[in-house]
Amino acid sequence: MNEDKPSPSSDFQGLIKPPSFFGLRVDRQSLIKHFFTGSAAVTILTLFLIMYSLLKEGTGFLPTYQFELKVYRQAGLEFCDFIQKPLTENTALLSKLNRAVNADTATLTQKAQARRDALFLAKGRIEEKTARLREAVTEALETAGTPPEKLAQARQALTEANATAVAEEAFPDVYNAEERRQIATDLTAMQPDAAEPPAILKTLSAEFTEQDRIAKEKYAGFLEAVEAFEEATEPIVELHDGIAELAKATKEAAVQQHMAEDAKAQLLAAAESAKTPEAKANFLKEAEATSLEAIDYKGKIEPIVAKLPEYEAMIPPYVAAIKAAMEKVPQKGDTKEATALINEVRKQLPKHLTHAEQSPALMKAWQWDKPIPLIQALTAFLFGGDWITNSSWQDFYGVVPLLTGSLLIAVIALVIALPLSVAAAIYTNQFATPREQELIKPFIEFIQAIPSVVLGFIGISVVGDLIKETSNIPWLQWIPGFPVQERLNMFNAGLLLALMAIPTMFSLAEDAIQNVPRAFSEASEALGATKLQTVFRVIFPASLSGVFAAMLLGLGRIVGETMVVLLVAGNRIAIPDFSDGIGTVFQPAHTLTGIIAQELGEVSKGSSHWQALFMVGILLFSISLFINFVSRKVVKRFQLPKI
Amino acid sequence: MHAPANSALLENPFAKRRSHRETYEFLVKSVLRGATYVILFATAAIFLHIIVKGSPILFQAKAPFINTEFLTKLPETLHVLEDKQGHIYKTDPKGADAIKHQLGDNLRQEKTISYSGGGILGPIVGTFLLVLVCIVVALFLGISSAIYLSEYAKPGKFIEWVRLAILNLAGVPSVVFGLFGLGVFVLAAPVFTNTPMDRALLVIPLGFTQMSFQGWDTSVLSGAFTLAFVILPVIITASEECLRAVPMGFRETSLALGATRWQTIWRSVLPFAMPGILTSSILGIARAAGETAPIMFTAALAFKDKLPWQGEAGLGGVFTESVQALPYHIYTLAARIPQNEYSERAQYGSVFVFLVLVMTLATASVLLRRKLRAKYKW
Repeated sequence: MNEDKPSPSSDFQGLIKPPSFFGLRVDRQSLIKHFFTGSAAVTILTLFLIMYSLLKEGTGFLPTYQFELKVYRQAGLEFCDFIQKPLTENTALLSKLNRAVNADTATLTQKAQARRDALFLAKGRIEEKTARLREAVTEALETAGTPPEKLAQARQALTEANATAVAEEAFPDVYNAEERRQIATDLTAMQPDAAEPPAILKTLSAEFTEQDRIAKEKYAGFLEAVEAFEEATEPIVELHDGIAELAKATKEAAVQQHMAEDAKAQLLAAAESAKTPEAKANFLKEAEATSLEAIDYKGKIEPIVAKLPEYEAMIPPYVAAIKAAMEKVPQKGDTKEATALINEVRKQLPKHLTHAEQSPALMKAWQWDKPIPLIQALTAFLFGGDWITNSSWQDFYGVVPLLTGSLLIAVIALVIALPLSVAAAIYTNQFATPREQELIKPFIEFIQAIPSVVLGFIGISVVGDLIKETSNIPWLQWIPGFPVQERLNMFNAGLLLALMAIPTMFSLAEDAIQNVPRAFSEASEALGATKLQTVFRVIFPASLSGVFAAMLLGLGRIVGETMVVLLVAGNRIAIPDFSDGIGTVFQPAHTLTGIIAQELGEVSKGSSHWQALFMVGILLFSISLFINFVSRKVVKRFQLPKI
Repeated sequence: MHAPANSALLENPFAKRRSHRETYEFLVKSVLRGATYVILFATAAIFLHIIVKGSPILFQAKAPFINTEFLTKLPETLHVLEDKQGHIYKTDPKGADAIKHQLGDNLRQEKTISYSGGGILGPIVGTFLLVLVCIVVALFLGISSAIYLSEYAKPGKFIEWVRLAILNLAGVPSVVFGLFGLGVFVLAAPVFTNTPMDRALLVIPLGFTQMSFQGWDTSVLSGAFTLAFVILPVIITASEECLRAVPMGFRETSLALGATRWQTIWRSVLPFAMPGILTSSILGIARAAGETAPIMFTAALAFKDKLPWQGEAGLGGVFTESVQALPYHIYTLAARIPQNEYSERAQYGSVFVFLVLVMTLATASVLLRRKLRAKYKW
């Protein structure tokens, strides 16, 4: 019904008057048509309204953030962060060295520690199970005049409960038979009023203390080196803390002043629109009373900058101390882990030292009154590596950690979903029996109807534990990233998102394969190709553009998904540490969608944080538009000829 | 296909041995089949897990066989009390006070687990209201847009724009729809009031009252409208497909008999397309019921101890009150409270009920569509 015919009523304009409509003589047919046109226009309108609502709240972000960055600079916080940066690096290196020392000392203490800790845990569990009866005994002891038989009864009940609980315990095989017996008797005999912990526990603790002492002796040099490494920063930290306090005070004053300015502007605006002269006078008086004392940034920054020579003088001793400490660190650890960590520290150390040595020069070049252009607020948002909110020092809205999280999870999900859904599409379309098709197609369509929040719940309650348990299986330890530290991580989220994306990708890929003209496969088979050759050399290549579009639309679904990543991805706002290689996927992360869902409910309307979240929304919206655009182009560009 | 169907007992000595190529084909096919069944099994495992864990909470061995309390009570904080003899009482806040009074000194410990007691009537009612309003809005807008696209539109710039908009709307992340709903419906939609708020964007005096663009707050109406726009692309696409499936001859016959275009649509096209539109829309309803992100900032509350019509607004509250909704309730239960043996009842119970609800809708849609396809063939 696309060809346009003049509607009958307009042909007979002269003969029949158009019916009356609200007293107006208008053509009813065209009115109806306009109504439907209007409804269709709603879709365009919605798209524009989405853009409008995002931009309206989001665009205010740039000036606000620019102001915040300006205060950050003028108050001298930026100056302090020049010092903070090498300190942070030092902390990171130090934690690696500490881990190396611990890995080495663990070779000696591990066994004793495991023996002690397992018993502690078992004791805790038993005490928890028998808590009620323990309390009964305590109460009987505390109440004066409890008959001795009643006390004995309570004690007997406790002992029995202890025995049952002990029997239920599965002790690890770090104890020999003799020790097991002793553990059983000692733990069964536990009473709340016992002066000392069970004898066996004391023995095991003593054993651990002894081992620990031996280990500390053996690695005394290493430990000293680590301590020296840490102590080298002490004067710098002291200096930094001193000026940081000054800078923060200035910043607070600046924020106060800004708020006062806002309040004054509001009062003046209220005075403008005031209805009565008295009210107007009142408002003006109040506005007058709001004191606006300009902040003397220059005067306040001077004592901070004055510390620079002192800091500069600290650097050479610091570098020397660090180098001396590193001399004492052994070339090679006694364990593989320690060696790897030491090597990492050695590799990163020169960079850290140059950073430390360069920092005074950077600070000299730094000017407190260098203006911050508006564009810098935008680049700080798009390329900033920190998303820090509600900080007592300085809030940063850099979107990179969220973006990497979103993209990494999307890649994981794609890597899982794409092969599965394409294989399933090929199988269903080319090899499956009609009955199998009847089963597979609706079933996969069904997955689409599973609400994402349910999948997220499954991720928390089932998949997380499953991944963690699997990662502890000894013969799977060759897999990078195993054993997994966090239950909720990017891999977990990727797995569930893959399941969510499969229906979209499957049905689009299946359509693409279905749409390959019959003549293609007929020609191939006529040339003597086997079924497999036909499928993989003719049909599949011909459908590639469709499969690619399917992948892109699946990607769009994955990147835009909220609930699964919010619940399952672990919500740690940091750029993942890529040094783990493939194992990186088992780290937690935060995402663009997740951050909006998590934080928007808790921020006050109109604050810079609120605006930043709308900016994230703009970014997400642009990504989805871009993906749509590319997939349309791909489909158009590689369209098959119609045969 | 290639594997000869040997009897398991007796090897057929005359059977042709599989060539390498055939073995290879068989292997490739098996890999493809394996991939397909991995998907099916993963899904089946999820369903099974929820059914196994969830059904004991909803069903019981005694008449009426359904745990009516879980479906008819509002969510509340669960109190777990233990006395010194080891008896455990699970109860609501009111019951907890009574038992505490009764036990006196005999009380050993008390634990409270938020949201885990009572039932899930509040979330069910909320989801029902949201979906109901949403579907009215979405169907109205969706079907009229589809009528334009299939009956009125001429090829041109406008229709290209509309199609592009539909395509892009379908790809917008749901959380962005949430932001849109917050910016437009919660904070800027027009209301009629005599006392406009300060934050209103625009106030138009109408004489007897004023139209103030101050938004609908977090309410059923805001949430439902947001959801309606989330599913609008699905509804439009499905409706247009159904309208186009009605044979051209129907329209031509009607027009030839002198009917106006509107009469043709109303009498000869819509009646035949409607069943298809409605069944396809059920899938849209299922999606609307399942979305969480769009209602997070527009309609849903983590906890509410009143049903929407029990508030100050009376019966009008079904539109203007904020509500609890099943998907948001599940999110709250999964993310905001620690997992333990006492929280499991509410968690798996809600997930089970929710899944049954959504899956019933989806199944109904699939089955009805199949039936319709068999019925209408032209």
